[in-house]
Amino acid sequence: MNNRNKIIFFFFSTVLVIGGYAYFEFNKRPYKDIETMYTDTFINSSELISLFMLNENSANSVYRNKVIEVEGIVKEVTFLNNRNTVLLQGSSTYSSVLCDMKDDQVEEIEKLRKGQKVKIKGVCKGFLKDVILLHCLLINTPINE
Amino acid sequence: MNKVIILIFLLINVTDFESKPDQFIARQGQVSFFSYTSVENIEAKNDQVLSIIDLSKNEIAISMLMNAFKFKKSLMHEHFNESYIESDLYPKATFEGKIKDFDILTDGTQTRMIEGELTIHGITKEVEIKTTIENIDGRYLFTGDFEVAVKDFDIKIPPILVPNIAKIISITFRFEYQPYEK
Repeated sequence: MNNRNKIIFFFFSTVLVIGGYAYFEFNKRPYKDIETMYTDTFINSSELISLFMLNENSANSVYRNKVIEVEGIVKEVTFLNNRNTVLLQGSSTYSSVLCDMKDDQVEEIEKLRKGQKVKIKGVCKGFLKDVILLHCLLINTPINE
Repeated sequence: MNKVIILIFLLINVTDFESKPDQFIARQGQVSFFSYTSVENIEAKNDQVLSIIDLSKNEIAISMLMNAFKFKKSLMHEHFNESYIESDLYPKATFEGKIKDFDILTDGTQTRMIEGELTIHGITKEVEIKTTIENIDGRYLFTGDFEVAVKDFDIKIPPILVPNIAKIISITFRFEYQPYEK
């Protein structure tokens, strides 16, 4: 290979690599790998709700868009609108932690019962009436008694 | 924003003397939007939209987190939140309005206009939305669609991306309300 061919070869392989990377970046699916994402904070559901109710802005600055692990008691499991949602109790009935589960979690969610203690990992999006967590995963599901 | 919070609290705190509930809540309402252009189609969905209706006053309040919209591609999600909607500055979109000529006694389906104020990206616009209201065993289902113009809400799109984003965005919604127990 002479020099000119080498340059052309390097030029094209660089373009190919950059192009491939760009294609990959543009088509990245959001939160595909939450399992492997580093958890920013651990907290229990009542505490998380209280923090948001007390001061939404300051709670937002700490938890918004963060990967968090929440421990709490199952209040309700719903399958409304083809979404799998687990609601965790707070200290009052007014608010809860609304966890929108990933699709591959269905089997485990169906086994959940009201009053069961669980730990859920997800991305905190903020607070409306409930604290909202998306892309959630059950972790350490306790074995049914 | 504060007005909505006050409205929601008012709706929640108004005491209910009648046996039939006046207030209904949807915590997992669905709102989707679509942008169709020849370059690309963008769609996103939010499944955690909060809405409360008070049928004694025919009032409706809706609140949603802008960063809870799910896109097919994470880059779209990023642009939407960081560049267009600026969800750090304006985390919520809200709507408060009145259901015109709503008849609580009608069973089945009725189509009504809902008139109110829609706030997105810190900008409030008067809108009128045609809504199909279904009464199913004492629960209510609100569905419909409407359109908004991107320029009405002061959303800046960089010149290079103008062909990718529609000028008019279509929005569809679906709220399943349950009696609100305090």
